[in-house]
Amino acid sequence: MERLLSVLTEKRVLFSVSFVVRLALVLYGDYQDRNMVVKYTDIDYHVFTDAARFITEGQSPYNRSTYRYTPLLAWLLTPNIYLSVVFGKLLFIVCDVLSGLLIYKLLCLRGVSCQIARYVSSLWLLNPLPMGVSSRGNAESILSALVLGTLLCMEVRRLAWAAVLYGLSVHMKIYPVTYALPIALSLRSPHTKTTTEHWSWRTAFGFIGSFLNSKLILFASVAGGVFFTLTALFYYMYGWVFLHETYLYHLTRRDIRHNFSPYFYMLYLTADSRWSQALGLAAFLPQLILLVVSSWTFHRDLAFTCFLHTAIFVSFNKVCTSQYFLWYLSLLPLVIPHLTLSVKQGVMLLLLWFAGQALWLAPAYFLEFEGHNTFFLIWLAGLFFLVINSFILVQIIAHYKSRKSLERQKAE
Amino acid sequence: MYFLRFYLFLCSAPCVYLLKEDGDEDLCFFLEGVKPSLSVELSNKGFHREVVTTVELGSETPGDVRALLVYTWPRGVYVDPYQLAFLSDLRGWQMLFNTTIDLEEPAHRTSAFLTYVYPSHNGPTPGPLTVTIPIHGRYHKPAFDGKSFTPVHIELPELLLWTKKCTPIQRLEPHTLLDAPCNASNTSICSWIKIQLSHKNSTLSLHLPVGDGPTVTLVCTGTLLVTVICCAVLCHSILKHQIT
Repeated sequence: MERLLSVLTEKRVLFSVSFVVRLALVLYGDYQDRNMVVKYTDIDYHVFTDAARFITEGQSPYNRSTYRYTPLLAWLLTPNIYLSVVFGKLLFIVCDVLSGLLIYKLLCLRGVSCQIARYVSSLWLLNPLPMGVSSRGNAESILSALVLGTLLCMEVRRLAWAAVLYGLSVHMKIYPVTYALPIALSLRSPHTKTTTEHWSWRTAFGFIGSFLNSKLILFASVAGGVFFTLTALFYYMYGWVFLHETYLYHLTRRDIRHNFSPYFYMLYLTADSRWSQALGLAAFLPQLILLVVSSWTFHRDLAFTCFLHTAIFVSFNKVCTSQYFLWYLSLLPLVIPHLTLSVKQGVMLLLLWFAGQALWLAPAYFLEFEGHNTFFLIWLAGLFFLVINSFILVQIIAHYKSRKSLERQKAE
Repeated sequence: MYFLRFYLFLCSAPCVYLLKEDGDEDLCFFLEGVKPSLSVELSNKGFHREVVTTVELGSETPGDVRALLVYTWPRGVYVDPYQLAFLSDLRGWQMLFNTTIDLEEPAHRTSAFLTYVYPSHNGPTPGPLTVTIPIHGRYHKPAFDGKSFTPVHIELPELLLWTKKCTPIQRLEPHTLLDAPCNASNTSICSWIKIQLSHKNSTLSLHLPVGDGPTVTLVCTGTLLVTVICCAVLCHSILKHQIT
């Protein structure tokens, strides 16, 4: 068994096998779509393809109802129309394997031995969840590759490239914008402790001044430049509907249909009441507070902060679907080698996470497909899932040893 | 001069009438013999259902008769045009919508809509036509009267017939004339004959679950309490284990 594991995780074998398995799934998916009633391909893939078709006809991709992404994605998938409809899936599985490669490189740079780095990367590369998601035609792997690429460039101090990839990732989906705070905190000048402990104007100015250094200004201007250039270009091409569907819809989204979010039932019951706005704001505050606190305390370890940020953002969001889990699962392999949890504890936490989802999926199935009124149970399951996610995050935080503290321990 | 014109008119009118009389017997005679029946069933449970419509036109119906089913859907349900486009090759019928469909809006923010369904006719004599339309329930406003479900009533579709040879102007009772698109590509309008049918039930009903309005205070309090506690616990853990 161990011999099989070491052969499988040998570098060339690992990446080849993970690509071939994904390719096989794409081909199988094509067969299932043609021959069976239940389709393999995700509905989102049809949305992307329809939007790409509109572009090839010279129209706006937003003519396709429920296309709520950047036009860049539809442009990237125009070969779906000109070459083959399977092109997009091939692009997604390549980005998926690339994400695995970036995880491996990042782990090596963060002081993990190459053998352990390969084992941990195989948690992503041989994991059926990202395999299934990318072969079904979801575009999440493009974003995970961009975010991992940003972290890798930050790690090797190639700030301009990191900024380009970061600007591109924020353009594609809004949630990486939360990484701006820890990135800014990690790039600011080291804070020199003043003699006095009391707050004064000098310490305040010193704090603000620490943000004004060449590295941070370079990062901000390149990332901002990439983001605003793309926004301006697509606004010029497609107008207000681009801004609304790509950004504003997601910021103001009030999908009252059942989803994993703990706020789902509260927002459904109050959708048309005068408390709706206030409750929406109340729902936003825990997210905001946690993002600021975690940035401030952990910004020196950027990969860990980004993982925490994303996990907190998804768990406390007003809408949460299973696609969002991939956003932080792609960063989890960077955290795992630094956890002092035993394998048994790790597996228990994983099973707990799955149990939380199963407890939600059961009443949701009965609501949607059997027509029972299980709203109250779904609400309770959503709250329970938040409790489980919080517990898991607390365990990860409590058992995390960053590279610096490990080195300090060794020195002692 | 006038007399000549009038005389010619008097002579031609009976000829036209005679021609039409002969034509009518061939053209719209079938309407008197045709006894179509239409039955509609609702299958599946929950928010995703299927409306199965079976139309039997009768054996005396001419082979080139085309049927059109006009559905008036209530705002509590919707039909997904993208799902239909994907499955249209398998289904053998085409649907035309009279409006764009928002797939996510709750029921009270949308309105009823019409669809025209054009079954494709196979062979010279049309047999029973079966059309299965997948429909999806919309979310409704929470109920404050203690009821867990809200009813959605779907009217039975109207059956319209058309044949190239028949251009009726009279003798249609109890049927009526109706203008509707000739086909699903909506390029022209034709004059269809709306068939008067007798139904045992005039509507189908489905019941969709709705939220429980009176529990709003409990739900809001419980949600905010749990989220604030989880936030506080996480903050405490983060600050306790910060990287110094």
